[in-house]
Amino acid sequence: MKRLAGGLLIAAVTLALPAVLDDSSLAVYILLGLAAMVTVGVSLLMGYAGQVSLGQGAFYAIGAYTAALLALNGVPPLIGLIAAPVAAAAFALVIGTPLLRLRGHHLAFATLAMQLILLSLAGQLDVTGGDIGLQAIPQFGIGSFEAGSASAYAYLTWAGLALVMLVTHNVITSRPGRALRALATSETAAASAGIPVGRYKLVVFALSAAFAGLAGGIYCFYTGYVAPGSFPVLISIQYIVMAVVGGLGTIWGAVVGATAITLLVQGLDRVASLPGMPSYAPSVLSYAVYALVLILVVLFLPRGLLPTFTRARWRLFSGRRADLEYK
Amino acid sequence: MSAFIGYLLNGLAVGCAIALIASGLVTIYRVTGVVNFAQGTFAVVAGLCTSSLLGLGVPHGVSEVAAVLVAALAGLLTGLAATGKRDTTPLSSLIITLGVGVLAYAVEIVLWGDQPRSAPGLAGSVTIAGARVQTQHLLVISVTAATFVLLVLFFGRTYLGKALTACASNPYAARVIGIDTRLMGLLAFALGGLLGGIAGVLVTPLRPISFDTDVTLIVNGFAAAVFGGLTRPAVALGGALLLGVAETMAAGYGYGSHQLEVALGLMLVVMVVQASRRSTIHQEAV
Repeated sequence: MKRLAGGLLIAAVTLALPAVLDDSSLAVYILLGLAAMVTVGVSLLMGYAGQVSLGQGAFYAIGAYTAALLALNGVPPLIGLIAAPVAAAAFALVIGTPLLRLRGHHLAFATLAMQLILLSLAGQLDVTGGDIGLQAIPQFGIGSFEAGSASAYAYLTWAGLALVMLVTHNVITSRPGRALRALATSETAAASAGIPVGRYKLVVFALSAAFAGLAGGIYCFYTGYVAPGSFPVLISIQYIVMAVVGGLGTIWGAVVGATAITLLVQGLDRVASLPGMPSYAPSVLSYAVYALVLILVVLFLPRGLLPTFTRARWRLFSGRRADLEYK
Repeated sequence: MSAFIGYLLNGLAVGCAIALIASGLVTIYRVTGVVNFAQGTFAVVAGLCTSSLLGLGVPHGVSEVAAVLVAALAGLLTGLAATGKRDTTPLSSLIITLGVGVLAYAVEIVLWGDQPRSAPGLAGSVTIAGARVQTQHLLVISVTAATFVLLVLFFGRTYLGKALTACASNPYAARVIGIDTRLMGLLAFALGGLLGGIAGVLVTPLRPISFDTDVTLIVNGFAAAVFGGLTRPAVALGGALLLGVAETMAAGYGYGSHQLEVALGLMLVVMVVQASRRSTIHQEAV
């Protein structure tokens, strides 16, 4: 009952916010939703399948380029938006078949390499517009309705996020979800219990890629242009930071992490652009925040913000251990 | 033919720099089990330090050595963050070194700005078998060779080096005979910083370095180290030289724009082939 009330409250706030925010805050709100969407996938991959991907930005880019190319060639935007996660997932399936034989740091570097290769290719091919990228992408629309305002994109983004969270919730609570938790602990043990380890890892990888692809698709319609420069390596690291900060393997943790980091960086951005601050202040502050938050959380709150606070609250109010909830 | 020898020596020099980064990675990984993502950062820090010190009028030699020591200090600090706290898992440590790399971006931009910097190296060039080769390239090759000889002597002949090797081959046994494995881990990080620093100091005169050059350096270094499964320095050296020569040849004969893809693709293939030859049980036990 309490959970339901909490969910309804969050839904109401989410729906009300686009109506009251001004345009610059709306931009933050949309980017926050997109980041949360990718982070849910990263959290699923790291927390449940025990795999680190430093190349999640690549799937984001694939989604964005797919939707942009289709829209520029006259395909209805809705089809482009549906194609974005499908293309990202298909790419993940193809690339994941060899790559997911790797584990731990090998996989981390392999996914990083994948992103670097893709960015370099996107910067050289004519189809993707080279370093300049693709411009004048039409607005998103369904039939005669056209999403011209930022608040329309805000609703689209948060609807997408809700869908992503729902899918993740259903995956986690299903039988494959329990299998995933088993294989994160020990692949050998999971395999000997009859879990098809390779196939499940691949499916989670593809699922997280699809989430990133969907976010990328919305992003390209919202900003109206995509270029290799929009998807630096740092963006992939940023998703890791958000997932780790929020708490790996928790759906709401990913949203909390994305919110905390986005608001912190935005707040510092405001400080950094005050008169009298040097011109490099914004980038320096955001690098410093990503780095320090990541290091401190990994060292001192290894479970992440949300699980740590939930545990503390349980201890305070009921004297019971909340461990059960996360094990 | 003379162009070929030119490219070959040029490539060997590039490969040597990669080899130094890779040997730092291998040293740290063997002793602590941590893949140090900040390894490229040490080179960048040392390179930027040299350019500043030389700019201030500090003579050659002194500035280079000082820069390398700064990099070793950076290595020590990274080690403290990544392994200083008990029960940090290797994967957490990897994420921490990733954080250290990003933190270094902030520090480097504050100190040196975000534009690439260069430093004067050895001027002039010599002619070998009809090919003009920059003296700096020869310097890179000879310093790297000397460093590797010193490393072999250090690990094979000194007490400290043998203690490090002991930690690498069996941490438990090393602790039993009274070796402080955490201290040795920190030492390995400092040594890794030192090696990265040497690479940075040598490379800066050849190609300008900026705060985000570390991604290219670490990816190349990791690619080389992965040839030897991250544990065999000699194979890593071979891999690095191969990578350097292949990249330079590709650039020299007109495929310059695909240099990065070649190196990364090679790394992916090597890793996947290695992984398919190793069983999961073995990987989980390590």
